[in-house]
Amino acid sequence: MTEERWTSGDGELTAALRALYAAPDGETYWESLEARILARVSRPDDAMMWWTELVDMARPGLAAAAALILAASMLLVHSRQMEDRNAFATVVAPTAVSVEASARSHSVGDGDAAIHFLTPH
Amino acid sequence: MLATSTLDTPYTMPSPADVVVPERAVVLAAQRGSHEAFAELVRRHQRRAYAVTRAIVLSHEDAEDAVQEGFLHAHRALDRFRPDQPFGAWLFRIMANAALDLVRRRKVRDADELPESIALPFRDPAESGELRDRLHAALAQLGDRQRAVIVMHDVEGFTHGEIGRTLGIPEGTARSDLHHARAALRRLLQDLRRVP
Repeated sequence: MTEERWTSGDGELTAALRALYAAPDGETYWESLEARILARVSRPDDAMMWWTELVDMARPGLAAAAALILAASMLLVHSRQMEDRNAFATVVAPTAVSVEASARSHSVGDGDAAIHFLTPH
Repeated sequence: MLATSTLDTPYTMPSPADVVVPERAVVLAAQRGSHEAFAELVRRHQRRAYAVTRAIVLSHEDAEDAVQEGFLHAHRALDRFRPDQPFGAWLFRIMANAALDLVRRRKVRDADELPESIALPFRDPAESGELRDRLHAALAQLGDRQRAVIVMHDVEGFTHGEIGRTLGIPEGTARSDLHHARAALRRLLQDLRRVP
């Protein structure tokens, strides 16, 4: 013959569950837990502190980054303007060196022809 | 004569312990930033909050951690609480979520470890603590929600409706979870069931 011990709503099971999950007894424990809870609530969270510090650092950091980007953009624009100006100047006003070189090449050609005329053989 | 004796009787201010301030007033004061009012809410609800978290996590220490975490979340979210709602239901929902978060974190951390309590060697059921150990092991094998439901119902006396509101599930689901949790416990403790 067997005896059903674990039935729905069984008193022994409920008693065992209550023993296993019994909340701590005594006012001292609850006063201590209350103090820990309130201390935890009052204490700034580490993650929040980290985030707050990051936010504080982010503002001047963003301003510095914006200033740096602005300066770099201005430098880039200025550099491009200089390049364009130089390229234009090169096309419109050829340098004296190139004229002289051109004249020299012509004169050298004439001299060679004269020598060739005087000494045909 | 009556007036004289009434005047002669010194009037004593009721001490704070004698006055039960309505919860709504305490909540409103806490929402305005009163630390003392929040402490009063902690005093009023910490036992029930512990019961909720203890039903979900596996140890007393984790329940304490979850209670502290839950009150921290509640403190931060206090300005979003509508005082026309029952504060307890709102708070216990936060507690349940804090406990479930803790269980999830523990599972990730202990993923490779088999809980020692589940692998308990068989001993004579008459041995002291055997029932407790076996029950603990069996409860650890239930799903988090089923375990929470059976503990909240059978140990703490929550109704199906309260369990549903706290865990964010329909009342019918709480009822069904309770049924399945009991069936699972009976199956897991089967060898203790039949005494010749």
